[in-house]
Amino acid sequence: MINFDYTKPSTIQNAIGVLNKDAGAQFIAGGSNLVDLMKRGVMTPQKVVDITGLPLKAIELRENTIQIGALALNSDVAENDLIKKHLPLLSQAFKAGASAQIRNMATVGGNMLQRTRCGYFYDTALPCNKREPGSGCGALQGYNRMHAIFGTSDKCIAVHPSDMCIALAALNATVLVTGPKGSRRILFTDFHRLPGTTPQLDNNLQRGELITGVELPLNAALAQHSLYTKIRDRVSYAFALVSVAVALDMKGKTIQSARIAMGGVAHKPWRLTAAEDFLKGKEATLNNFQQAASLAMKDAKGYGYNNFKLTLAPNTIVQTLKTLAQIS
Amino acid sequence: MDKFFFDTSAPFADIDRVDGKAKVTGTAKYSAEYELADLVYGVLATSNITKGTITAIDTKSAEKAPGVLAVITHLNAPKVPGYDEGQNPTKGQNNGKGLRIFNDNIIYFNGQPIALVIADTFERATHAASLIKAQYNKEASHTDLTEAIKNDKPIEGDRYKENTRGTKDAWKSAPVQIDTTYTMPIQVHNPMELHATTVRWDGDDKVTVWDKTQGVVSTQRSVAEAFKIDPKNVQVNAQFVGGGFGSALRTWPHTIAAAMGAKKVGKPLKLVLTRPQMFMLVGYRPAAIQRMAIGADKDGRLIGMLHEASSMTSTYETFNEGVVAMTRQLYDCKNVNTKYNIYPLDVSTPTWMRGPGEATGSFPLECGMDELSYALNIDPIELRKRNYAETDPENGKPYSSKFLREAYDMGAEKFGWKNRKPQPRSMNEDGWLVGYGMSTGLFGASRGEAKVAAKLLPDGTLVLQSAVSDSGPGTATTMTQIASNLLGIPPAKIKFELGDSSFPPGPTQGGSTTTSTLGTTVHNACESLKKKLAGLLKTQESEVLPQDVQFGNGEMRLKNGNVITYADAIKAANLPAIEITEASGRNPEMQKYSAYSYSVHFVKVKVHPLTGVVRIDKVVSAADAGTIISPKTAASQMKGGVVGGIGGALMEEGVIDHRYGRWVNNNFADYHVPVHADVPDVEVVFVNKPDPILNPNGAKGMGEIALIGFAAAVANAVYHATGKRIRELPITPDKVLL
Amino acid sequence: MLNESEEKSSHSRRSFLKRTTATAAILATPPVLVKAADKKLDEKVAQRFEQVPLQLEVNGKPYSLQVEPRVTLLDLLREQLHLTGSKKGCDLGQCGACTVHIDGKRVLSCLSLAVMQSGKKITTIEGLANGDNLHPMQEAFIKYDGFQCGYCTPGQIMSAVACINEGHATSDAEIREYMSGNICRCGAYPNIGAAIKDVAGRGGGQ
Repeated sequence: MINFDYTKPSTIQNAIGVLNKDAGAQFIAGGSNLVDLMKRGVMTPQKVVDITGLPLKAIELRENTIQIGALALNSDVAENDLIKKHLPLLSQAFKAGASAQIRNMATVGGNMLQRTRCGYFYDTALPCNKREPGSGCGALQGYNRMHAIFGTSDKCIAVHPSDMCIALAALNATVLVTGPKGSRRILFTDFHRLPGTTPQLDNNLQRGELITGVELPLNAALAQHSLYTKIRDRVSYAFALVSVAVALDMKGKTIQSARIAMGGVAHKPWRLTAAEDFLKGKEATLNNFQQAASLAMKDAKGYGYNNFKLTLAPNTIVQTLKTLAQIS
Repeated sequence: MDKFFFDTSAPFADIDRVDGKAKVTGTAKYSAEYELADLVYGVLATSNITKGTITAIDTKSAEKAPGVLAVITHLNAPKVPGYDEGQNPTKGQNNGKGLRIFNDNIIYFNGQPIALVIADTFERATHAASLIKAQYNKEASHTDLTEAIKNDKPIEGDRYKENTRGTKDAWKSAPVQIDTTYTMPIQVHNPMELHATTVRWDGDDKVTVWDKTQGVVSTQRSVAEAFKIDPKNVQVNAQFVGGGFGSALRTWPHTIAAAMGAKKVGKPLKLVLTRPQMFMLVGYRPAAIQRMAIGADKDGRLIGMLHEASSMTSTYETFNEGVVAMTRQLYDCKNVNTKYNIYPLDVSTPTWMRGPGEATGSFPLECGMDELSYALNIDPIELRKRNYAETDPENGKPYSSKFLREAYDMGAEKFGWKNRKPQPRSMNEDGWLVGYGMSTGLFGASRGEAKVAAKLLPDGTLVLQSAVSDSGPGTATTMTQIASNLLGIPPAKIKFELGDSSFPPGPTQGGSTTTSTLGTTVHNACESLKKKLAGLLKTQESEVLPQDVQFGNGEMRLKNGNVITYADAIKAANLPAIEITEASGRNPEMQKYSAYSYSVHFVKVKVHPLTGVVRIDKVVSAADAGTIISPKTAASQMKGGVVGGIGGALMEEGVIDHRYGRWVNNNFADYHVPVHADVPDVEVVFVNKPDPILNPNGAKGMGEIALIGFAAAVANAVYHATGKRIRELPITPDKVLL
Repeated sequence: MLNESEEKSSHSRRSFLKRTTATAAILATPPVLVKAADKKLDEKVAQRFEQVPLQLEVNGKPYSLQVEPRVTLLDLLREQLHLTGSKKGCDLGQCGACTVHIDGKRVLSCLSLAVMQSGKKITTIEGLANGDNLHPMQEAFIKYDGFQCGYCTPGQIMSAVACINEGHATSDAEIREYMSGNICRCGAYPNIGAAIKDVAGRGGGQ
């Protein structure tokens, strides 16, 4: 790891200020992703700006929303009573991610901004357009078992590895951001990007912007039926091959509305609007679930090693819906 | 007072690990944890091409980086005199010239060390290593075993010849046949401790090496040979070894590099491999593609077997293992033809890994038997019993001991095998498919040479010393247990010291032979001590023979009812201590016998029909490993093997991108090993019957059978659950689904 | 705008010693003689510039240190404080061997920058026992043979203690899941689980 300068601002403005003064500067929160990437030489900030001193740890119930500070620890959010009550899906997703230790380090903001786990991205000796635009995508014709099937481009087929984000996508979260030009709100679904021709950009955060929190609308109906399913290569402490977050608003057997997001399948949390639209007003039946799942898969594309996801993904959707609807 | 005496015929007591306190308090020191004055850090920079030659290497930035003391490359490496002999003293038991680190500009594999950067702190060394930039003359590389099998010729040699017992291809004539191909990827030991060497030169030809090694003496010898110095001047320390599983059986080039480095800068140097480097620099289990064909008659009697295994080695060393042996050894089958092919690839040299050979060969063999069982509609255990070998099928020798049948039965009983519905995909539990599978494991049992120093002190404590190391099985505990039993000294008063080459030479901890080998030496040492103790009692009139004395509770009880503590006896003799050095070796008697340890694994899996997820729900492993000396650590060994087995069965897969010849998952996040949640309760059943011939303790090896065959049991269970036969490891959801 | 005093470190210490020839060039001595002194001096100088002050408490003991910002808590503990109980199994947050408690919470010290722990209280395996009195978890690990090679053990124990304190040891399944951040290649899991279950049953984390 290169050495770097370290600074720990005590105000948001100062934190942003450092980043805007110094292109080599980068925020660090839990460090659980950044330090790793720095060790591997994938990220080489010249200055590391410790934001853990900023007052962004709160989890608060507002009028119709819950606001979670960007520095709230993944473990704290997962265990928080408000979250468990109002946003059980989020709690589940958190618990499905990483390990207890990492969740004790990882922050909400950091989780959102964690980089892909693609091996070609991690190895500076291999080509990767995300790490080094123009160098090529090693995964495209390489070992792409973990890679994306939706929204890919020939520049990049990496997936966003977060579990939390899948829940946030399903929960219509809004990211709260403060930058040199002031604060703004970004719909969570607009937050991450598809690779397109700029795989180096994971998301739409501008240089120097600090995530201050996420805001989640409350929806008691959805909270009653929500489930996060994560399929991985081992039972725990592994990234998703495919994961599915579902929240249903059920009236009896009828699905009033559905929210479905999928992880492990795209460069961003993948919201399944077609499936949601289809399920709206439908009965909770296996048949409907299967139809919804296959609608969801319309634009999916496999790259070889990851072809199995074309099957695993819809199956996991169906499985999750089944479990929620208590259909066997 | 009798009640305090040990009953030597009683089973061994279940003592706690003797090094437990050191390990749970953090005071146990592993080879990278010694605080030495003026210590510097070495970090390896490695090649990022796979094959070719280094044409230029830019070390300037590294040399100029803060704290850097030296950068060693092939251009400036200190002489390693041993290299000049046309052979590589560190090559272990492989054939070939080995990797003479920094000896020339040839790149054999991606990740090969091209420079050692030495700096005053770890961070600085690491950073500086990242600054090394080499230019290469790159050549086309081949790392794909499948391609090699298609296009290349395997290595020739006696070991690789077609080996036919009985009639060739007799299986083809059988009424019931299976003929399948099984694939296993590279697996990597990945002990938790990163390989590390700390070296301090104490003079021009005197060196102390703290090394992660399974073989203290072997490391001593290797270093001595490399630097052409007297082995006595090579002090090797390996008090604690954080897991080896075979990866520390050899002295690897990085150890020599560390010694070079320390020599170069004239300071003690510590070199720790990184986890990614662990995938390339300390061996791995080579991938294998194996054809298994079995022919049987309607009753399940084996008519013939074919086992052809193709595996890989590096281009600079020929590593081989007994992949096809188990097929020749386990079942009573007249006609067996086997072939073992290895292909040199542009990779680093593989090495032995827990259950070397058998772990690989057992997979097609025991899956094949399972396939056959379904083909025959015979219960898998029954099928095995029908082909149970009463003598060694390969050489006709009797077994020094074999309690495999007991193991089948005890295991099946414990597991509840009887609840298995014979039909595939016939069992369910809350939406999951359930499958039962079993398999057999086998590994040769033997005994080697070792020495032990024993010292009985006037305070009644016993100190035993041997230059052996313990990578986890619990050698010191077992040895303590043996001595405690024999001498009737409570374990707390026994100190088994190891990991120090100044002690009498112990065995290398490999091949699951430590207990057999060193246990013998300790056993004999105790008997010698008894003799000496008895000798102290010599009266004017007569010798006192040990058999006339009851030893126990730290005391000798004479026929006449007199009791004297060992301590008093020593004091009375005005001796500072009783000291002996005991040696023991192979048992010539064993020439006549064949000896194997056996395991039988029972696995219950749950398979999720929609997502293809496989969960190991229950495991019972039964073992015939002779006498169980230290039940607690023995059970741990078995469980550990099972965990390793789960890894191999469900998740472990080393991936090299053959376009680049470079690893793409050489870390613990991408190369999955089992975590706690993957592992159910594992029940261990020991037949616990002594082998009467192999060694005086009746113990056979156990470390490897704990794993051997396990993957097959899982694959068989998955088949039973799903009706889908998965012949490629690891069994991940994608394979189950598609 | 940035409040200068907020910047704990001077602008760019790290880039200080790109060329190490400076001191040599300055001391008007033949290079050969200077070489050694040169290096040492340069290094020490560099060290000073690359490092920032850090105060933290480890196992109840206050430390006042100078560390480079890139030093991880794990390396600080192991290489500088010679507290080698915390292990390095991967250095990439993938194994749990380096688990320690920071302000009572279990974290991975290999991904924690030491500088970020300013003012924090660190507990490592060395700080768990009370003198010769082992922590109940340590005793249980011995009793249930919750380790083999012992290398993952400090991390397992630190994690186990936290696991109970967090309230995540209420069932076998929960213990398994919440202990999954600690890899044991020796496969001691079943015994580790048994040890934790025992301690949790007796109500004892820290």
